[in-house]
Amino acid sequence: MTYSEKILSRSIDPTVHKMLARAEELGLETAWDRYEAQLPQCGFGELGVCCRNCNMGPCRISPFEEEGPKAGVCGATADIIVARNLIRMIAGGAAAHSDHGRDIAHTLLLTAEGKAGGYEIKDEAKLKALAVEYGIETDGHTKEEIALELARAVYAEFGKQEGPIQFTSRAPEKRVALWKKLGVDPRGIDREIVEIMHRTHIGVDNDPVHLILQGIRASISDGWGGSMVATELSDVLFGTPSPIRSQANLGVLKADEVNIVMHGHEPTLSEMLVTATQDPEMVALAEKYGAAGINVVGMCCTGNEVLMRHGIPIAGNFLQQELAVITGAVEAVIVDVQCIMPSLGALTGCFHTKLISTSPKAKFPGATHIEFHEEHAYDIAKEIVKTSVENYRFRKPGQVQIPNEKTECMVGFSVEAIVEALGGTLDPLLDAIKSGAIKGLAGVVGCNNPKIQHDYGHVNLVKELIKNDVLVVNGGCNAIATAKAGLMLPEAAEQAGEGLKGVCKALDIPPVLHMGSCVDNSRILVALAAVAKALDIDISDLPAAGAAPEWMSEKAVSIATYFLSSGVFTVLGPMPPILGSPVVTELLTQGAKDIVGAVFAVEPDPFKAAQLMINHIEEKRTALGI
Amino acid sequence: MAVESPFILVNPEHCVGCHTCELACATAHTKAGTVIGAILAGERLQPRNHVVQVDNVKMSTQCRQCEDAPCVRVCPTGATYRTDTYTAVDQRLCIACRLCVMVCPFGAIHVATTEVAGREKRAAFKCDLCVDRPDGPACVEACPTKALSLRYPSEVVQQSTKATSKQFLEALESQQQLTSNP
Repeated sequence: MTYSEKILSRSIDPTVHKMLARAEELGLETAWDRYEAQLPQCGFGELGVCCRNCNMGPCRISPFEEEGPKAGVCGATADIIVARNLIRMIAGGAAAHSDHGRDIAHTLLLTAEGKAGGYEIKDEAKLKALAVEYGIETDGHTKEEIALELARAVYAEFGKQEGPIQFTSRAPEKRVALWKKLGVDPRGIDREIVEIMHRTHIGVDNDPVHLILQGIRASISDGWGGSMVATELSDVLFGTPSPIRSQANLGVLKADEVNIVMHGHEPTLSEMLVTATQDPEMVALAEKYGAAGINVVGMCCTGNEVLMRHGIPIAGNFLQQELAVITGAVEAVIVDVQCIMPSLGALTGCFHTKLISTSPKAKFPGATHIEFHEEHAYDIAKEIVKTSVENYRFRKPGQVQIPNEKTECMVGFSVEAIVEALGGTLDPLLDAIKSGAIKGLAGVVGCNNPKIQHDYGHVNLVKELIKNDVLVVNGGCNAIATAKAGLMLPEAAEQAGEGLKGVCKALDIPPVLHMGSCVDNSRILVALAAVAKALDIDISDLPAAGAAPEWMSEKAVSIATYFLSSGVFTVLGPMPPILGSPVVTELLTQGAKDIVGAVFAVEPDPFKAAQLMINHIEEKRTALGI
Repeated sequence: MAVESPFILVNPEHCVGCHTCELACATAHTKAGTVIGAILAGERLQPRNHVVQVDNVKMSTQCRQCEDAPCVRVCPTGATYRTDTYTAVDQRLCIACRLCVMVCPFGAIHVATTEVAGREKRAAFKCDLCVDRPDGPACVEACPTKALSLRYPSEVVQQSTKATSKQFLEALESQQQLTSNP
């Protein structure tokens, strides 16, 4: 099959080509078409210089040198407006991650109280370790009693008025001291987000640098707060991931089975759905309708969660959500929160597919709403599965076109799993870094964005890094892209440089380690902190770098900012909306080096981006004398 | 026969005053070709059109490409001149005397700092209809509400003539007395 230039230019993934051709054939539009319809996108928005924070506006600063307004009605300059807009993005991202964390804490609380409908504490060791961190007495207490205390303590972190929050103490001492000195050590998870909304209200904080510092504080309360809570408590409830094999890409859908796509973010729902699909009653129901079984697959980060813990196959990343529906083989797309396109309602309406929304927070046009509550988790999950299975009889076999491609992957590399793969201590990794077998570490994360050829940025950046002996740890949509590209297999070590290849072969691990969903980027922080502590240096001294080659969401802005705030040089693919402000641009790409020891760079070309990261890693190695 | 001179027409009913046309205009006249690229390369952004608001109505204004153009007549150096299809400025010859600015009845010319042949200078700027741009005027392409269009007067005249002629014919059918001889 040959595809048009237009289709080929949209993605490097053959399943995407096939499904986009199918979409054209059926006259269906996708995010790529809607992106094209939006072109040219507003230049003022691209520069970040429009402000709608009060109703004297909307105001917009002229990017023209000699003419046009240089201040909004209130007098806010481009620097003020850009800074305010950027930290509002951070607030949005931190709120999303942290609210996810709160939901997991809520589930732990209900589980501890015996009120949750089917959850249990799967990782008691982690529960106890966290209890010790929080100073909770464990001796002589049941796991439920400990969990109750822990859940309450974590709950309190959200509404804390005076800091510090617990997990920032996981950062190297130098880093924490720096945060305190700068006044950016978070006081509470919610407080920093609220304070951004306050400071960016008309007539409050009007110093661009001061505004950005609050953005930094809120991002730390996400990465070392809300996100880390989400990760850690998910591990307690659902188990800490360990290496497991599975498959990735749209080819995981099955022509003769009920296909259920779980899409969104929070594992509370997806975990229970996985269990419910194995219910003999449900399996029998599927058989009754002529299906060979129930095939539950993931999409985006909720997919990453169940991929990591159960080896549930993952159908794709962000830009593939519509394509899964276009296969015509999906009985239901079950969604909760975040990164779910509202287009799915109209699109599922063109097929027999049901879009089932579940979160009390998120409703979608064209969706059937079956609200999920942890108290009755299993029963609701079963109802959702039943609705999906019953929909199988309406599938039109003539409409089904499933791409063949699916790739084997080895995933599940939590920090604990990595340490175990290393033989119980970080030493083999430290030795490899010191010897230069591994030049450094790269955390590669982020979304898909039709501004960048789908997966082109992700896959090429990661390939280039491993080729240069940089061990890649990743999460979110980047992880899915690399799984699909076959980079998450021990055999992929062949594509790595000699040094990294040797290490991977000795440990039988892939050169690209899947650390989880986007909240699990907090695992990358924990890993970097552990390595820095072992070497008795700050994270900013490590031969390490971050990247978000295809980012698009506010969460990604928060992630990139907490990487930066933690001392990680980070390369962004798409340009953030800051160029309208010389002050903010200079601060984030240069000045921040003297403040937090790291900067952002922007480079859409993955090969050049890799080179920036490798150069940075080499510089740090030289500074360390290794 | 002379080549016809088109111009850009705005439909004020569609204009929402977003200034996108200004930015598209400025961007189309940079080497980088994108807003972000131009700013990164330190290029000046200079729009040739302007969005104005009069009595709550918003609209873009730009050069009408006058055939007997005052700006051309008044230019002492020949920098402003007329081609077959539009009124051009050769910034190399411009001395920024601003006479064209004074005489333009549409306020469509302004003087600003720019780089010409490696030298910073002041020079006149006006709409060139993006004559070198394969897809035509950038403002027209960028307008999100399709308020702008590139119009050829003869085309407009033809359309109007046809429409009114059709109307006349319809009138004839219903009003026989118009054709019957007195």
